[in-house]
Amino acid sequence: MADQGAADPGNNNNNTPEASEGTIIKVTVKTPKDKEEIAIAEDASVTQFKEEISRRFKAKQDQLVLIFAGKILKDGDSLSQHGIKDGLTVHLVIKTAHKAGDGGSTSASSSTSTQAGNTSTSSPSTNPSSTAGSTGTAAPPTQTPNILTGFGDLAGLAGMGMGSANFMELQQQMQRQLMSNPEMLSQIMENPLVQNMMSNPDLMRQMIMANPQMQQLMERNPEISHMLNNPELMRQTMELARNPAMMQEMMRNQDRALSNLESIPGGYNALRRMYTDIQEPMFSAAREQFGSNPFSALGGNSESGAQPSRTENREPLPNPWGPPNSSNPSESGGATTGSTSTTGGTNPSVSNPLGINPASLGNGMFNSPGMQSLLQQISENPQLMQNMLSAPYMRSMMQSLSQNPELASQVLMNNPLFAGNPQLQEQFRSQLPIFLQQMQNPEALSVMTNPRAMQALMQIQQGLQTLQTEAPGLMPSLMTGGVPGGIPGGMPGGMPGGMPGGMPGGMPGGMPGGMPGGMPGGMPGGIPGIPTGGGMPTENPASSPSSAGTNAAQQQLMQQMLQMFAGGGGGGSATTQTPEVRFQSQLDQLSAMGFINREANLQALIATGGDINAAIERLLGSQPS
Amino acid sequence: MDQTDSYPVKLYIYDMSRGMARQLSPLLLGRQLDGIWHTAVVVHGKEFFFVGEGINNCPPGGTPLGEPDSIVDLGSTEVSLEIFMVYLFSLAESTYRVDTYNLFEHNCNTFSNEVAQFLTGKTIPSYITDLPSEVLSTPFGQALRPLLDSIVINPGGNNITGQR
Repeated sequence: MADQGAADPGNNNNNTPEASEGTIIKVTVKTPKDKEEIAIAEDASVTQFKEEISRRFKAKQDQLVLIFAGKILKDGDSLSQHGIKDGLTVHLVIKTAHKAGDGGSTSASSSTSTQAGNTSTSSPSTNPSSTAGSTGTAAPPTQTPNILTGFGDLAGLAGMGMGSANFMELQQQMQRQLMSNPEMLSQIMENPLVQNMMSNPDLMRQMIMANPQMQQLMERNPEISHMLNNPELMRQTMELARNPAMMQEMMRNQDRALSNLESIPGGYNALRRMYTDIQEPMFSAAREQFGSNPFSALGGNSESGAQPSRTENREPLPNPWGPPNSSNPSESGGATTGSTSTTGGTNPSVSNPLGINPASLGNGMFNSPGMQSLLQQISENPQLMQNMLSAPYMRSMMQSLSQNPELASQVLMNNPLFAGNPQLQEQFRSQLPIFLQQMQNPEALSVMTNPRAMQALMQIQQGLQTLQTEAPGLMPSLMTGGVPGGIPGGMPGGMPGGMPGGMPGGMPGGMPGGMPGGMPGGMPGGIPGIPTGGGMPTENPASSPSSAGTNAAQQQLMQQMLQMFAGGGGGGSATTQTPEVRFQSQLDQLSAMGFINREANLQALIATGGDINAAIERLLGSQPS
Repeated sequence: MDQTDSYPVKLYIYDMSRGMARQLSPLLLGRQLDGIWHTAVVVHGKEFFFVGEGINNCPPGGTPLGEPDSIVDLGSTEVSLEIFMVYLFSLAESTYRVDTYNLFEHNCNTFSNEVAQFLTGKTIPSYITDLPSEVLSTPFGQALRPLLDSIVINPGGNNITGQR
């Protein structure tokens, strides 16, 4: 027992008796926090070593992970097998109890971590509750929650890995619940997280496949699996399936569109024919509740349907403004085909998009899931966004809106985001004219369609929020004359925040989607997005650090944005100084240079925050299509 | 039952002086230093390093330093990401807390060395770990020591200690 040849320092050797003759070696066992010298027989097994260690470190053997020379020591091995000799150091990691025996999910999570971030982004979005749940279970040891939260992607992964069983179960449960409770379904569909997830066709496909009902459907109708493999179609189908109401609207719009299209010369006939091809099956699809038929109809028309249905999906957008609907398909059709007939054909009907009764606006179109799915669609397809924005119809719509704030405010008020918050409504109402004016600013629009710009704005916004919490004292000192120029910054900043249903952290993808219909919808979201507490986000000091490295124009933009919100928070005047006054000198310079279009100059200056050179570039380069 | 997955471990070495040390060191220090080395350990698809803010991670090559000047292959490890994380967190709470950064004695290279040993049993090349002592052995280094001591390098990344 104790009479081995090697020096025996008298550390607890009592339990190494199981080792036969071998010499006792002293191995240093090192944890991140601690280091102990353990004496063990040379030919002991790892299990015995662990026993010793568990005693010394007061941990269970299950929790011990021994690492030597990059290898994990398994219980069945022996120390000599790994070359562990006297005086060497073995590393020890003490796992938390919940992770014990987690070898399987560990490697699962590590292998998933090496895959593309798809799963990680989708898993947090699909199962925030499950990750939270698993984080919760891991809570007792202090380190684990940090692990999960500290590493962005990894958090979701770890949650997924740890709760790997849970994920599928949860999914199944969710689906079961959804099937039984249609309201819940619509609620869930409206959840921006869900929408985000839904935009990931792979995930959607998996989810659908996991649903036993779906599987039945697929058996009955092989076209469905066809459909599932076509991401485009998948997405559309998801939207349509969600919203039979939306489908019907689309049908109706289509009818109106087609009737209008008759008057338009040229290639629209072809388009019409295509529409007709889809229309009928779609109609029958819409009529049927949710049986296998709609899917088959859609599946069957996938080829012909894909393109036009893409276009037709834009139709819901104009709904709130009634008759413009009819012009939209041609408009959007023109946009897609890039034909110039857009301007020719649609102008007459587009010129007065707001010819509709404002009353009809209040139909809660914004509330409709159709809107949201459209927005989601738009977010998936920035090109769509661009097309729409560049459409002259859009311009005129905005113009009309700006001329008729009453109308716009009505539209906005109907937005569910507003519904519960009269303060917001107030705020928004006061901001409205400015906002609308800005909507017309091509610069603002281009900023909004530029995801990176939006992202930058988002960052600024977040920076401001942080600053506000850190240094609330700064804010009151930051009130200077506000300017509409700040609004494009504010609005786009607000919109990405607002669009995904009011989540300030909204994805840049959601931002372009915010534009058309969401524009009013996005703003109220945006206002809460910016700290409404006080409504006075920090300004200069805030913008300097957050915009450190950004140019002066952006800084000014920031200031203006803040002032706008501050002004909105006061529920009063948003602008105290018109842009003309502020940019007087620049305007003079510009006109001296020969830019006689004062209006355009002004807009350019507003967009660039007073930077003459940039304004000149804009004036020279801008060609609003 | 346990898969013995093997994960490659690499050491990313950056010259923070961007070549200036190589040129100016004989002049300033009296001895040749080929670079001011900053290192990070890359494993499981992430780059881990220790800076003033604590232990950080980022996508490989994702720090403002850009791509590494050289990459040393440290071999491979069986340590899974999960266990590695537990380990890192323990480190972050003990020896590599936010306030422990010292440019000479307890810097990124110290961290990389320790992590490399943990993961693979190998240490990092000695020219890296010897750098502080080389500098300090020059009169110039000695003179500048108080100043240098207060420098804390923060090249960005995601802080896993959650402290900011």
